Amino acid sequence: MNKNVIRSITGIAVLFCLLWLIGLGWAVGEYYAGTPEKIPKAKTVSQVENKKGLTIVALGDSLTRGTGDETGKGYVGVLIDEIKGKTKRPVQLTNLGINGQRSNSLRKQVQETEVGRQIQRADMVLVTIGGNDLFRGGQALMDFKTGDIATIEKKYLNNLKFIFEQIRKNNPKANVFFIGLYNPFIDLDQGREMSKVVRHWNYDSAEVSASFPKIVFVPTFDLFELKVNDYLYSDKFHPNSKGYRLIAERVASLLTW
Amino acid sequence: MNKLIQNEMMKLIAKKRLIVIAIIIGVLVMLFTYAQYKQVQTQREKLGTSDWRTILQQQIVDTTNRLSSSRITDEWKKQLQISLQQQQYYLDHDINPSEPGAPTFMRIFLENSIDLFIPLMVMVIASDLVSSEHSLGSIKLLLTRPVKRWKVLLSKYLTLCLAISLIIAIAGILSYLISGLVFGYKGWGAPILTGFNVTETGLNTSEVKLMGQWKFLLMDFGLVWFVSIVVGTLSFMLSVLIRSTAAGMGVMLASLISGAILTNMVSSWESAKYFFMVNLRLTDYMKGTAPPIEGMNLSFSIQTLFVWWAVALFVSFFVFTRRDVY
Repeated sequence: MNKNVIRSITGIAVLFCLLWLIGLGWAVGEYYAGTPEKIPKAKTVSQVENKKGLTIVALGDSLTRGTGDETGKGYVGVLIDEIKGKTKRPVQLTNLGINGQRSNSLRKQVQETEVGRQIQRADMVLVTIGGNDLFRGGQALMDFKTGDIATIEKKYLNNLKFIFEQIRKNNPKANVFFIGLYNPFIDLDQGREMSKVVRHWNYDSAEVSASFPKIVFVPTFDLFELKVNDYLYSDKFHPNSKGYRLIAERVASLLTW
Repeated sequence: MNKLIQNEMMKLIAKKRLIVIAIIIGVLVMLFTYAQYKQVQTQREKLGTSDWRTILQQQIVDTTNRLSSSRITDEWKKQLQISLQQQQYYLDHDINPSEPGAPTFMRIFLENSIDLFIPLMVMVIASDLVSSEHSLGSIKLLLTRPVKRWKVLLSKYLTLCLAISLIIAIAGILSYLISGLVFGYKGWGAPILTGFNVTETGLNTSEVKLMGQWKFLLMDFGLVWFVSIVVGTLSFMLSVLIRSTAAGMGVMLASLISGAILTNMVSSWESAKYFFMVNLRLTDYMKGTAPPIEGMNLSFSIQTLFVWWAVALFVSFFVFTRRDVY
């Protein structure tokens, strides 16, 4: 073996050894002595990049997420499939739904810079909210008669108004579809009274929606009125895939291009 | 001394181990590059966009949803919360956490190979450095020369350190060149955030620093090098103590793998943090993920590894200079 080859390999190895040693020293030094710097927050990204496809943003709770759907699509997924069948343009969906989300946390979510940017780019916005505000995991069955429900509703309507304002501020043009509530407890003993409360919420929500341009209230109450159990998942709260299909078809029939 | 090192280096090169290691690393990097490429593609198809902000926002929402599930363990929940806060921080400051490009791939490759893959490569060289002299019988020839025993061992040890430096360089260079073919060679200057502090309550972002990716990478390399030296020294010690190369390798392999398993389940066994193998993931401290056991941080891990290193080195020299060779 050539002596010079070995010598140069050894030399290279020594160089790398020193380099890594410097790196190690730097890492330890920076970890302890490095001073934090102020990192500028992102400014509101104002420019909308030119896009070819159709952009859809879905906001809201577990219905937007698709909880209970065996296929995992939810009404949003089914709707997107239908849209893809009808148009040749590429469709881009941003699903920002969070399980168990209530109106106050959606209120916070729409204020985030990036969420705002997403809404800004959207051609269509889908919203489901309010179900968790009202039912609170079934607690509503106990206290729907009391005055509490009125205060809860007031807060909810307030949040809803704010959310719509925020969406319209970011994007004055996109069609917004607000999916109304259904009554999953309609078959239970207090079902009739509960329905009354749900109808009331829906009416008020529709009123709020109507006060904004191009915000469409999509009723779902009637879809689940008869044979509710055929359309509910085994938790008796979320829709199953059939239920989601019903909601998606209703929204699909409202779409215009 | 210089001559001795040259001699050891010659033996090492004649064995062609480094070439074998380079081939292994090359093949694996190709696999990882392809896997990464596929992942990026499916993500793009699924979301219909390659805009990183949209993808990151989607990841944040997905993590939030996973957090809301009641079936996850507390530790996993904490990990998720920390990564969630981190992602949100990146998004709020408009910084792409994984700027596409070969340097980012290199960084991810290093972070994932620090605790098992690179130590394994080091073992390939370290574990028979002394024991092979026994099995070949050449130890007697070596020790009959008019050179002190500790000098013989030291030359072997220094050669090991040089070889480790080379292995890490090979890993870096190969991962850069190969992944660059797919992801492009740019991205050295991309900003990276470091200095996230994981505390009891969650993620502390008050000491976050912004740095160029090249600098971050150099630090990662330094940490990987340190870990490799420690692992190399330990297997070096075993190769002095145990005459059979296979047995020494087996012991080392078992402890490395047990480390990978232990880190996933020791969070409630606090004294496990003094094992060297749970301290190997040094780059995670730079990135800011939750340590496997509460109370571990970079200086703790480095000190622990340093103690293991010093003990191993001492034992090797002590035993080697005193042992009867026959």
